[in-house]
Amino acid sequence: MISTSSSLSSSVNFFGPKVVILNGRASSPRSLQFRSTPRISASCASTAERTASHISLISPSASLYEVLGIPMGATCQEIKSAYRRLAREVHPDVVANGQRSQTSAGEFIKVHEAYATLSDPDRRADYDRLLCGVRQTASYPMAASRHRATMASRFAGHSRRTWETDQCW
Amino acid sequence: MAEPAYTVASDSETTGEEKSSSAFPEIAIGIDIGTSQCSVAAWNGSQVEILKNTRNQKMMRSYVTFKDEVPSGGVSNQLSQMKKSKTLPSLCPMKKGKFGVRRGMNRVAQNLDPYCLCSPDATSEHRTLQFESYSLYPQERPSLFVASVSRMAEPAYTVASDSETTGEEKSSSAFPEIAIGIDIGTSQCSVAAWNGSQVEILKNTRNQKMMRSYVTFKDEVPSGGVSNQLSHESEMLSGAAIFNMKRLIGRVDTDPVVHSSKSLPFLVQTLDIGVRPFIAALVNNAWRSTTPEEVLAIYLVELRAMAELALKRPIRNVVLTIPVSFSRFQVTRIERACAMAGLHVLRLMPEPTAVALLYAQQQQQCVHENMGSGSEKIALIFNMGAGYSDVAVTATAGGVSQIKSLAGSAIGGEDILQNMIRHLLPDSDILFSNHGINEIKAMGLLRVATQDAIHKLSSQTSVQIDVDLGNGSKICKVVHQEEFQEVNGKVFEKCESLIIQCLRDAKVDPEDVADVITVGGCSNIPKVKNLVMSVCKRQELYKGMNPLEAAVIGAALEGAVASGINDPFGSLDLLTIQVTPLALGIQADGNSFVPVIPRNTTMPARKELVFTTVRDNQTEALIVVYEGEGKTVEDNHLLGYFKLTGIPPAPKGVPEINVCMDIDASNVLRVFAGVVLPGSKNPPIPFMEVRMPTVDDGHGWCAEALQRTYGSRLDLVTVQKKI
Repeated sequence: MISTSSSLSSSVNFFGPKVVILNGRASSPRSLQFRSTPRISASCASTAERTASHISLISPSASLYEVLGIPMGATCQEIKSAYRRLAREVHPDVVANGQRSQTSAGEFIKVHEAYATLSDPDRRADYDRLLCGVRQTASYPMAASRHRATMASRFAGHSRRTWETDQCW
Repeated sequence: MAEPAYTVASDSETTGEEKSSSAFPEIAIGIDIGTSQCSVAAWNGSQVEILKNTRNQKMMRSYVTFKDEVPSGGVSNQLSQMKKSKTLPSLCPMKKGKFGVRRGMNRVAQNLDPYCLCSPDATSEHRTLQFESYSLYPQERPSLFVASVSRMAEPAYTVASDSETTGEEKSSSAFPEIAIGIDIGTSQCSVAAWNGSQVEILKNTRNQKMMRSYVTFKDEVPSGGVSNQLSHESEMLSGAAIFNMKRLIGRVDTDPVVHSSKSLPFLVQTLDIGVRPFIAALVNNAWRSTTPEEVLAIYLVELRAMAELALKRPIRNVVLTIPVSFSRFQVTRIERACAMAGLHVLRLMPEPTAVALLYAQQQQQCVHENMGSGSEKIALIFNMGAGYSDVAVTATAGGVSQIKSLAGSAIGGEDILQNMIRHLLPDSDILFSNHGINEIKAMGLLRVATQDAIHKLSSQTSVQIDVDLGNGSKICKVVHQEEFQEVNGKVFEKCESLIIQCLRDAKVDPEDVADVITVGGCSNIPKVKNLVMSVCKRQELYKGMNPLEAAVIGAALEGAVASGINDPFGSLDLLTIQVTPLALGIQADGNSFVPVIPRNTTMPARKELVFTTVRDNQTEALIVVYEGEGKTVEDNHLLGYFKLTGIPPAPKGVPEINVCMDIDASNVLRVFAGVVLPGSKNPPIPFMEVRMPTVDDGHGWCAEALQRTYGSRLDLVTVQKKI
């Protein structure tokens, strides 16, 4: 628990200022929020960079179910097929030739983490309990992953293999 | 790099796309790369003219700035104030090699021939960036320059293709270039491409789909198995030909795989100090040195020429299959060989995942109506070739192949062959290690006879081996199936353990596996088939694919998908979700390896862990990045290291050192490290972003040098996992 909280808070501090550059939004209040409620927070997902897709319709504080676009009572089958459907929308390999390759890695990571949690019965049960407790403002520590997703986009300029390719020679 | 690769490269160029320009002799341009300023000049037909950039400058400041996502140099970039070049930290004199002058770049830079570089060491990759910018110029014949630049680093590719569309290749730019698939096997290679409606395996001029993987140096110009025809198998074993380069590439001379190659007919010498092995081919009674990268590059040049001939278009983008067990360092060597051959690696796919993609396509065609219903099929793919064995477990539905787990090892048919040779001639290692002319001949004869016997044992229960080694000794022996299995017991045990590990990692019971697929040359061995079936509790294997062609077809499918090709019939409605084959982590808690991204993590991935200092007032931390499965760092591959300095003095265990690893959509690994003091909001120092791997050739040496320099003090600067 301690390690989780430190990981979250530090990740915000670590990358926070970069988000500001990207979004033009202040990050320090968010990092403070993380500090006071490490496991529950408003998400820092950047809505600005979202473009039209299922994902973009999700509010920043979306639950993992909302990320996958499924009801809370969804069966394992439904989770899997939702994951596959979304993978075909947001996976970098699919969108690599479009305009959105910059953000797709982050979006895919988010979709995959939602799937990884919900497809594991134990982790899903834990998450469901957490979700019931703090339904209003909450999202799971996955908020952190959403935060990372924006970070991934921060580095997305590198998503093509670029000039560094030969660096280890 | 030695000459032949380039000779071959330029040879094929003149036969290829640039034939039209070959009517004129190419006039080399002159470049003066100064520490402070650069300039370019060319003979314009009557005199020398100094070329100007778009801002009408003849002399351009020598620097590259990294302030934007895409770095830009003084050729294209305009400083708002000249003073800035002294003050901005991003600007630095390149010639001094602040970023290191890399030998490899030097070699690739030779591809600039016949452009003359008058600088004393025209090597830095940063300088090549300037060349790249030049390629945008409206020069007389930009395509010439572009073409040679395109053999360099990748931004060059980007720029080159941008400017190419305005040039001679405009016609082809209407269609996106479809990447071809190449399966570089230890023993055989093949090339396939999407032809608009399906994948077609390309044939060479002798109508062969599968070509032996070797390059012979017996003539002045080396030639590979694509163009060269062996009159007899033993010709490959005369010492003049290098083969098994896939087993040797990116390995240091302490590697057991390198040691097992010492009994091959060509020369493999080791010093056992963690540097690259010395490899040489016998040419006119002399050992002529080469490298696995060079051999592979020569071979790839031939493959490329063959594909260009078959497809009647220039080839630049490729999807290559690689073994699961390849380290990131080995991957860079493959990429390097491709760059030398003028190929751009669009994707590198672990071999069984290429097979998984083909399986996904077949399943989708079988049950098209089932798409999206969520009913998935689990398949286990076992691939055993001459050099490597790989296993993958994949969950397939609706054209999406989700890799659950991967496992792989450098064992294969070559090990089986060497075990048999040792069985037939117990002192063969000693006999062949001195590489005398007669020994090489004897070794070749024995190798051919043994290989033949192994092939026969795939269909019969015993085989008679009769071989005269020419030095007075003869081998006459009947080998039974049981004997063969006993001799190779360890190999088969390893195969079993790989499959079991892969199933366990995927959290899949053998009963849940719908299809078991075996591919690769060794899948013909009855014992291999049996062991796969028995581990997976199965009576029969999947029959839908050719075991020798599955990987290359999968690679070509991925090439079409990744090139953005759409198929009206949905044959390319495919996606592979890859996982990391090996764990990535750092050294911490002494010499422990602490994974940050575990094995079989879905890619792209981003994970982080928090570490802390081990001493009071520790101000520096060495982040040493490793890849592998070992518990201690010694058992893993060193990828690189960097130092985090300026940690604010604090009691041990207080500063939080955040290490984040990011694998992006192109499988590029970046390591970030930053410091946080609890209670403070802003990080005290900028965080580091380092692209891995950073270690050069003797990566075994680097690890030892670290140990030697820091010894027991090393833990002063390493970190421990924060609890």
